[in-house]
Amino acid sequence: MGIAKRAGVIGLWVLLVLVTAVGTAAIKQRFADGPNRVFSGGALVSGKLYNGSEPDWQFVNDISTIELQLLEPDHSRRIWTASVDGKIYVWSGYMNSLVGKLWKSWPAQAEHDGRAVIRVDGVRYERQLVRIKRGAGLDELTALINEKYSSQATPATIDSGDLWMFEAAPRVAVGSR
Amino acid sequence: MNGLFARIGLVVAVTALSVLLIPGVDDGVELLFQLVVLVASS
Repeated sequence: MGIAKRAGVIGLWVLLVLVTAVGTAAIKQRFADGPNRVFSGGALVSGKLYNGSEPDWQFVNDISTIELQLLEPDHSRRIWTASVDGKIYVWSGYMNSLVGKLWKSWPAQAEHDGRAVIRVDGVRYERQLVRIKRGAGLDELTALINEKYSSQATPATIDSGDLWMFEAAPRVAVGSR
Repeated sequence: MNGLFARIGLVVAVTALSVLLIPGVDDGVELLFQLVVLVASS
């Protein structure tokens, strides 16, 4: 057997091990209490459920990521966040790209049923994700996002649908609107 | 050919069980995957 052929065979075995390992780790994470690094997790179970008055979410600007779980389906992921005027926002970028359309399913799920739980510093908060489709008036928010994450968010990317912005609003307040 | 399929099955089973049962392996695999994605996207 030639060296190239032998290297190719070894490469295929290594690829088989890597694909199996990554697939298994991703499936295993689906049954865990929350996400890990990049793989989605299961429902957020641990942590005290917050039951007080609406917090001033400004403190999340000092946190790189939070955990977000939709109620339907009850998968969770690690996500960027920012706060302006005491409100908390989450978002998904690259939504007009092929990768975004194929990979990111939670924004459409959240638009259909926005009931969510977020976990920040081990505390769970019940929220309602409300999509904001117009970027007008969100200059301060997008500037903060760009400063915090070196992103290229603008009100125009929200208008174009490339960036899906959600306010994680209080769940009770949405029902009474 | 049967021997090849059996070897593939054995490798898949051993790998999957290792990730499922040995503590820390899943985290290491995810870290590796994250690094690959970061490098590929940069």
